[in-house]
Amino acid sequence: MPPAPVTEEELQRLCEFLYRKTGMIFGESKRYYVQRRIDERIAATRAGDFAGYFSLLRSDIDGEIEQFINAFTVNETYFYREDHQLECLTRDLLAERVRDRPRSAPLRIWSAPCSTGEEPYSIAMWLLDNWPLVDAYDIEIVGSDIDSRVVEAAREGLYGKRALMRLSPEVVARYFIPEGEDHWRLIDDLRQSVGFTAVNLVDGPQTRAHGRFDVIFCRNMLIYFDDASRRVAAENLYEALLPGGFICLGHTESMSRISPLFTVRRYADAIVYQRPLERVRG
Amino acid sequence: MPLVRKGGGEAVPPPLAGPSALTRGSADERWSAARSAPLTPEGVEMLATALGLETDERVREAIFTRLARAATPGSVEAVLPHLRSDDARIRTGALDALKAMPTAVAPRLAELLADSDPDVRLLSCEIARELPGPDATRLLCDLLDRETAANVCGAAVEMLTEIADPSAAPALERCAARFPSEPFLTFAIRVALDNIRSAS
Repeated sequence: MPPAPVTEEELQRLCEFLYRKTGMIFGESKRYYVQRRIDERIAATRAGDFAGYFSLLRSDIDGEIEQFINAFTVNETYFYREDHQLECLTRDLLAERVRDRPRSAPLRIWSAPCSTGEEPYSIAMWLLDNWPLVDAYDIEIVGSDIDSRVVEAAREGLYGKRALMRLSPEVVARYFIPEGEDHWRLIDDLRQSVGFTAVNLVDGPQTRAHGRFDVIFCRNMLIYFDDASRRVAAENLYEALLPGGFICLGHTESMSRISPLFTVRRYADAIVYQRPLERVRG
Repeated sequence: MPLVRKGGGEAVPPPLAGPSALTRGSADERWSAARSAPLTPEGVEMLATALGLETDERVREAIFTRLARAATPGSVEAVLPHLRSDDARIRTGALDALKAMPTAVAPRLAELLADSDPDVRLLSCEIARELPGPDATRLLCDLLDRETAANVCGAAVEMLTEIADPSAAPALERCAARFPSEPFLTFAIRVALDNIRSAS
């Protein structure tokens, strides 16, 4: 028998807990979604009811907080999604980043959240196929996500047909090996060229541990936060960029509505946000 | 394959200094101190003091964010005076910070919407946008019935157009009748009423 539906008060307590841990906000309008996730976790932990589950969650028994956060994240994506930003990366952003820079200095690109790896691997494939200077620089690509399950799946590099739908047959043949009837695995060289980590972008120390990047892809994540958490995440991302570095958001998102820290840059293929190069120090 | 995977770049240094650096040292130190200030009444008080002294826009933004994160009556008190600033960037920063802590600012909103300064009343209509629909509708309708500045009415009408609560219709109609010589307001109210009708 499924557990009884959570009461409004229980839902509020749980959503407050999730907010404190992640910055993600789920209101009454997402009740059905939240209820399903709670039911799944009550069943998986055999907690019996909400009270038992919430007690288990707060005590973080068997790492339940991580499992709980994992249940709330949305991980649907595919290769070469919003590839106009990849065009912008190779046509404009990297050209600016390598100007007046020694070839010995590595270029660092961060995909956060990276979900099951489609985005950071897309960046790697795109650079290999489209950036003439790809051999001239050490390029480090890091994919990070709050959901530890998807980070593990990203390392595995095994994908279904839907994830590959925007790739040409030539690209698939170059970077994937068929596995079974409906799956393809990324070749080892490519899998080994992207690093993966878990990160909560609202957490300053966790974000700082990743160092500074030339370009950050942070697409369709800030929409899950309320205003206060969005501002904190924006400041963490600002710190994670090298001066002059760029951040690419999802096409419905605007950093200008979140924080004045960044400069808006309009290119032929995309609007991106830049950490200013120099500041007058007070 | 030319791409490389390394053990990660050098970590960004942790905050350079404690909260006492909020009003001293370089902009980088003040930025770090603001971002790591404790979310306690003492921390909020230090942030409030620093906000009044800060001249660097980036640091000021970090202070606003930290106060919004605290989201206490104390942080609302710290931000509110800056809603009256002559500097548009500071006013906008204060407004955004208040919008980011709607629960904390809600008890002060009726008073803000009745402020003697029409600019404060106008900005407070923006804050009302963050409240639950029925609360915002009630406050904005009260404002419409007594407001003398057409611009402030315009801001309230814009919010009521978005909320589209039928209970706002009488106050909107009364407002239109009080400002027959303000064509922009007449037009905005007609749009609001149309929106309410199509939503109900």
